[in-house]
Amino acid sequence: MFVKLSNLDLKDNGEIAEKGAPKLCMRALPGEGAERSCAFDGARVVLMPITDAAHVIHGPIACAGNSWDNRGARSSGSQLFRRGLTTDLRENDVIYGGEEKLRQALHEIAGKHKPKAIFVYNTCVSSLIGENLDLVCRQAQTALSIPVIPVNAPGFLGDKNIGNRIAGDVLLQYVIGRELEPSIPYAKNLHAINLIGEYNIAGDLWGVLPELKNLGIILQTAITGDAKFDDLRSAHRASLNVLVCSKSLTNLARHMQLRWGIPFIDASFYGVEETSNALLNIAKALGDPELLRRTRQYVKEREIFTRAQLASHKKKLAGKTAILFTGGIKTWSMVSTLKELGIQVLAGGTQNSTPEDFLRMKAMMDPAAHIIEDTSADGFLRLIKDKKPDLIVAGGKTKYLAYKTRTPFLDINHGRKLPYAGYQGMITFAQAVTRTVFSPVWDLLKHPFAGERGSSYE
Amino acid sequence: MSNTRHYGGNPQKNSPALGATLAYMGINGLLAMLHGSQGCSTFIRLQLSRHFKEPIPLNSTALLEDSAIFGGWDHLKQGIVKSIDKFRPQIIGVMSTGLTETYGDDMESALAELRLERPDLEDFPVVLSRTPDYTGSMQEGYQQTVSSLLATLLKSSAARTIHSSSQSTLPAIALFPGVHLSPGDVAELKEIVSLFGFQPLVVPDLSTSLDGHTELEPVPVVQGGTTLTEILQLPYCKAAFSFGLSMNKVGQYFQEKYQVPHLNLPSLTGVAATDTLVLALADLAEKPVPAKLQHQRSQLLDTYADYHDQIGGKQIALALETDLLYSLATALLEVGAEITTALGATEQEMKRFPPTIPVQVGDLEDLEEQADGSNLIIANSNGRQAASALRLPHLRAGLPVFDRAGENLKVWTGYRGTRQFLVDVLNTMAS
Repeated sequence: MFVKLSNLDLKDNGEIAEKGAPKLCMRALPGEGAERSCAFDGARVVLMPITDAAHVIHGPIACAGNSWDNRGARSSGSQLFRRGLTTDLRENDVIYGGEEKLRQALHEIAGKHKPKAIFVYNTCVSSLIGENLDLVCRQAQTALSIPVIPVNAPGFLGDKNIGNRIAGDVLLQYVIGRELEPSIPYAKNLHAINLIGEYNIAGDLWGVLPELKNLGIILQTAITGDAKFDDLRSAHRASLNVLVCSKSLTNLARHMQLRWGIPFIDASFYGVEETSNALLNIAKALGDPELLRRTRQYVKEREIFTRAQLASHKKKLAGKTAILFTGGIKTWSMVSTLKELGIQVLAGGTQNSTPEDFLRMKAMMDPAAHIIEDTSADGFLRLIKDKKPDLIVAGGKTKYLAYKTRTPFLDINHGRKLPYAGYQGMITFAQAVTRTVFSPVWDLLKHPFAGERGSSYE
Repeated sequence: MSNTRHYGGNPQKNSPALGATLAYMGINGLLAMLHGSQGCSTFIRLQLSRHFKEPIPLNSTALLEDSAIFGGWDHLKQGIVKSIDKFRPQIIGVMSTGLTETYGDDMESALAELRLERPDLEDFPVVLSRTPDYTGSMQEGYQQTVSSLLATLLKSSAARTIHSSSQSTLPAIALFPGVHLSPGDVAELKEIVSLFGFQPLVVPDLSTSLDGHTELEPVPVVQGGTTLTEILQLPYCKAAFSFGLSMNKVGQYFQEKYQVPHLNLPSLTGVAATDTLVLALADLAEKPVPAKLQHQRSQLLDTYADYHDQIGGKQIALALETDLLYSLATALLEVGAEITTALGATEQEMKRFPPTIPVQVGDLEDLEEQADGSNLIIANSNGRQAASALRLPHLRAGLPVFDRAGENLKVWTGYRGTRQFLVDVLNTMAS
């Protein structure tokens, strides 16, 4: 019932023994205070943005209740994916089994919400009591005439990264290439690409789409930001896969290459230089000299325009320092994004990235920069105290901790409200950085108060 | 979820372990440790962080597949030892999860074994709270954990030392607030009690930990909150109050164990509810009600008069955990509103609701089905889908509230707070 670990390409990205390198998929230590989340969360991150599908969590309330509709993935159409749907397993279900409840739930959800497909997520408790998710899903699929897809990534399998990979495997196994009318002969769409790992957080995808459109590059589908289920079925018609988030979905890209001969490249749309590189590399990989010529001209113009918009921010931010902590491709692409604004990265770290992402980050940072090893709150606090950065760039989990240290903070993960991808996104990003770094509140927070007993913060 | 469905649609429930985390966040120097897989603690941290706008120090035993097979004792023991060594807390508070309760991890025995292996930790206070995800919601987990805190810490060796010095009764009042009270509510409650000349001893006290204040030195254990010393003074209090229907159990346990007279107040919102507290305190203090409170009471009554016609007959649909549901619904009834829908997250204490509140268990999908035609929805921020589908004004209450400012400081209790609640109700309906 669980996916074959060999499908997940774990081995060929073997762990590296360097300090601060992310430990791949396994073994957080009890009590160390690391904040790595779980495989279930990782699978959901990848699949949940599919807008017209129902996402049903087969487990007790902790898995759905604390976290539904809490990511910033946006949709231009159906809002069904934002519904929190769960079998909400109770004590009696744990004792007598929850398969029948799940079966009825699937029928009711299909009847009421009319999803294009249903993803059913296994959790720690449902796997532990031995629920046969595959069977229930298969039977429901027959009865309901829509795809009902089991996602076997219970939390205890490991961290988020392994869950991402399992989700990639689920897409391969159940979705991509399974078009409704298979009689249509398979043909590749020229100049069509998939953006793998683009979840349209805060509308990031919408910042990239106009650039693609202007160049005549077609988005086959994002996997899975703002994607409809039927779009994903046809993902195999793309001519190129572009991995834009973590390499944790490399397994998906690699298997799509094996099965449908679709080459893949990785790219980042964070920062002016990276966006240009991404567009140029896409044009190159699509193998159309005319497109490449056009792209060269286009990115030049866009760079000039964007840099002009950034100039005033860059002037203010030059010489500022930052600590960076994130995952995926942002691990390294944010280093260059911050550099473009004249901000020096003093220390960087990652938890949910692959070793390649990590090494790339290291290569881009100043050799004197610190690699964050202790990723607990405690480690952070010591680092901030030690480095006194002007800015912390990380995910929402760190936000309020950063504020307690009276340090400007920028959320670049799923909780943010603003899109940072593409040229326009970079301008938004620069504005956001300037806003927090130069906020008048920090002086007030750091200034000693005459009426206070004891010492000031610094 | 409703009786006619086999799934939860847009749940309003939070996990019991999240409630346990909140209880632990009110105890000074405590390090909270969730016995489960890492996602469990991550979701709780994120949920509470976006509600309170505060970092939430919650550690984890980081269980993996092998623990589900061989048991989680090693992870629990390692987690406790490692966090004591690394973070130097004064107390460790552990809560279990659906994962560990399903395979039946015996946390007490694991702890006993650890104390044998590490005699230096023999007296180190470790609170164990059993909060399987498949039983109850935030409210149940919170209440269960406050009970565990009292039972464990009052039995600790430090408590025995104090006992032998046989203290007399203190001019202090023990207060056990329910999870429906915000840090701002608890601060208001403490102020009311102080006005009568009593020292309030609050367990747990979120009003000094999750109230949102700048700290000189942030650390990964709870800062602010009730100190262990204060907890050990509890048995010598003059009286005890518990707040919220679900907290009656805690107060009863305390009364039986330590012979401190206890009164349960299901609500602190509304004139009648606040009167009950204020008159009880006046009795205990053998003093008249302080002028300040009398003035606040008259302000509240004046507000009732001013706006009774705007709120009278308005149909209000609520979906909240039962303690908050009871408090807000009874206050609304007091000003002449009509409760058309009252959905509790679980059925805890529903029998104590008056017949004027049509209470039943339900989620936010039920709310979406039942609230049509009413004038106002009161639910947590996740009620936004229902509110926008029905185009109804939506007053945020409960947890999580992540899309409105100032949730941790909101005061809806006491005379002053009730006035604010009424104003918030009216302004939300007007917008």
